[in-house]
Amino acid sequence: MMITDPAAQQKAVTTSRISLSGVHKRFGELEVLKGVDIDVEPGEVVVLIGASGSGKSTLLRIMCDLERADSGAVWVGGVPLHDRKRAPEIFGHVGMVFQQFNLFPHKTALGNVTLALLKVRKLSRAEAEERGRAALKRVGLADKADAYPAQLSGGQQQRVAIARALAMDPAIMFFDEPTSALDPELVGEVTGVMRSLAEDGMTMVVVTHEMRFAKDTADRVVFMDGGVVLEQGPPEQVFGSPAEQRTQQFLHRVLDT
Amino acid sequence: MDWSVIWSNRELYVSGLWATVLLSIAAIATGTLLGLLVAAVRTSRIPVLAQLARGYLEVFRGTPLLIQMLFIYFGAAYLGLVGITVFGAALLALTLYQGAYIAEIFRAGIEAVPRGQWEASRVLGLPRIQTFLSVILPQTRAIVLPPLVGQYLSLIKDTSIAVVIGYVELVRQGQAVIDRVGDPGTSYIAVAVLYFVICYPLSLLVRRMERKAVTA
Ligand SMILES: Nc1ncnc2c1ncn2[C@@H]1O[C@H](COP(=O)(O)OP(=O)(O)OP(=O)(O)O)[C@@H](O)[C@H]1O
Ligand SMILES: [Mg+2]
Repeated sequence: MMITDPAAQQKAVTTSRISLSGVHKRFGELEVLKGVDIDVEPGEVVVLIGASGSGKSTLLRIMCDLERADSGAVWVGGVPLHDRKRAPEIFGHVGMVFQQFNLFPHKTALGNVTLALLKVRKLSRAEAEERGRAALKRVGLADKADAYPAQLSGGQQQRVAIARALAMDPAIMFFDEPTSALDPELVGEVTGVMRSLAEDGMTMVVVTHEMRFAKDTADRVVFMDGGVVLEQGPPEQVFGSPAEQRTQQFLHRVLDT
Repeated sequence: MDWSVIWSNRELYVSGLWATVLLSIAAIATGTLLGLLVAAVRTSRIPVLAQLARGYLEVFRGTPLLIQMLFIYFGAAYLGLVGITVFGAALLALTLYQGAYIAEIFRAGIEAVPRGQWEASRVLGLPRIQTFLSVILPQTRAIVLPPLVGQYLSLIKDTSIAVVIGYVELVRQGQAVIDRVGDPGTSYIAVAVLYFVICYPLSLLVRRMERKAVTA
C-alpha cells in the first residue's frame, strides 16, 4: 500500500509526528478544551478515551483542521495548523474515518476511493483505479468495487471509508468512533482492518469505546476529562492501575456495562 | 367559432410557438446557471457575497416580472444603455427573476446534504468548488428536480410577459390573428392549447419524479 506519491513529496507533510500544546477551544459559552498537550510519535497508535462531551471529537477534528483551536500550537505532519495560511497543506495527506462513514452515496466503492486520486492527485483513470482497487483489497473488499454504499453492510461501508483514506497514502490516520454506528457483530471486521494498519506501522489516533481494541493495539491510552488530558500511558498501566480517581470511575462505568 | 381560421393562420402560430420555445430554452439555461451560482454563493459562508446574493433575491422576488422587464428594456434606453434587443431584455429579465426562485430550490437541496459530506471531501483535499460539483450537487437531484421542473413550467408561461416590450411570441401572434380576422375566443383557445402542449409533458415528468421520490 506504500505507493510513493510525487505530490506528497513536494508537500510540507514530511513526517507523521503530531505535537499539540496549550490547545484551547470553546463553542460559545462552553469551554471544551482547556489547555491540551499531546505528542504522537511516527508509527505510534494512540487511543483517546473519556466521557461523552469531554472533547475527544473536537480534539481529533482540530488535528485534521476541521475545527480550529482558539489558541495553542498544533503541529501535524510538520504543518502548523495554527497558521491559517499553511493549515490547508494538511488536506489530502491525513486520513479521517468518521462514525457515520460519510461515504459518497452516489458513487460506487471504487468511485469513492478514486475521486480524490483523480481530482486532487490528478492521476490518470487507469492509475487511480489501480490504486483504488489496491486500497479496497487492503480492507478485504476487492470484490465490492462496483457496489454502492447502500448495497453494503455498515462494516463494509466503514471499510470502504478506510480504503478511501488509505488510497491517498496518508501520513496519519484519525478515527472518530469508527465502530459506534455498527451492529456488534460487524465491529470485528473494522477493528481487524485497523489492527493490521497498526501492525504495518501506520500512525493512528483513535477515539473509541472498544476497550479491547485499546488494550491489544494501542501503544498509549490517553484519558481526557474536563477539557484536559488527565492521564496517559501504556494500556496495561491506564487500564490496570490508573492513577487518577476519575479514570478509575470512568473505566468502571465502561467496563462494567 | 370558426376553427378554420387557425389552420389558415398556422404560420403565425408556428412562428409564435417557436419564439416562445426559443426564449424558454434560453431562459431555462441562463436562469439555471444563475440560480446555481447564487445558491453556491449563498451556502458558501463568505459573508459579503452571501449578503449580496440575499439582496438580489429579495429585490427580484419582491417585485413583479412585468416591472422588471419594462425597467430593463425601457430603463436601459433611458439610461443611454443602447443596444439591448427585445429578446435580450426579455431574456435578462426572465433570467434574473426566475434565477432567484431557482437559487432557492438549489439552496434547499444543497442544505439537505449532510455536513459530513463536505468534511470528508475537505480532509481528502478536494477544493470547495470540486466538492460542490462532484459530491454535493449530484446528491441534490432527488430533492431539486421536481420543484425545478415545476419552476421551468412557470418560466415558460412567464415568457408571455415579454409581449409588453414587443417580443413577438405566441400570445402576440395570437393577437395578430385576432387583428386580422376577429374571433378572439378561437384564437386564444388555440394559444392556450399550444402552451399546454409544451407544458403538459413537463408536468407529467414532475409527477413521475415525485412518485419516484416517494417510493425511493
Ligand atoms: N460545533 C459545535 N458547536 C457547539 N458545541 C459543540 C460543537 N461541537 C461540539 N460541541 C460541544 O462540545 C462538547 C464536546 O464535544 P465533543 O464532540 O468533542 O465530545 P466527545 O468527547 O467527542 O463526546 P462523545 O463521546 O459524545 O462523542 C460537547 O458538549 C458538544 O456538545
Ligand atoms: Mg465524539
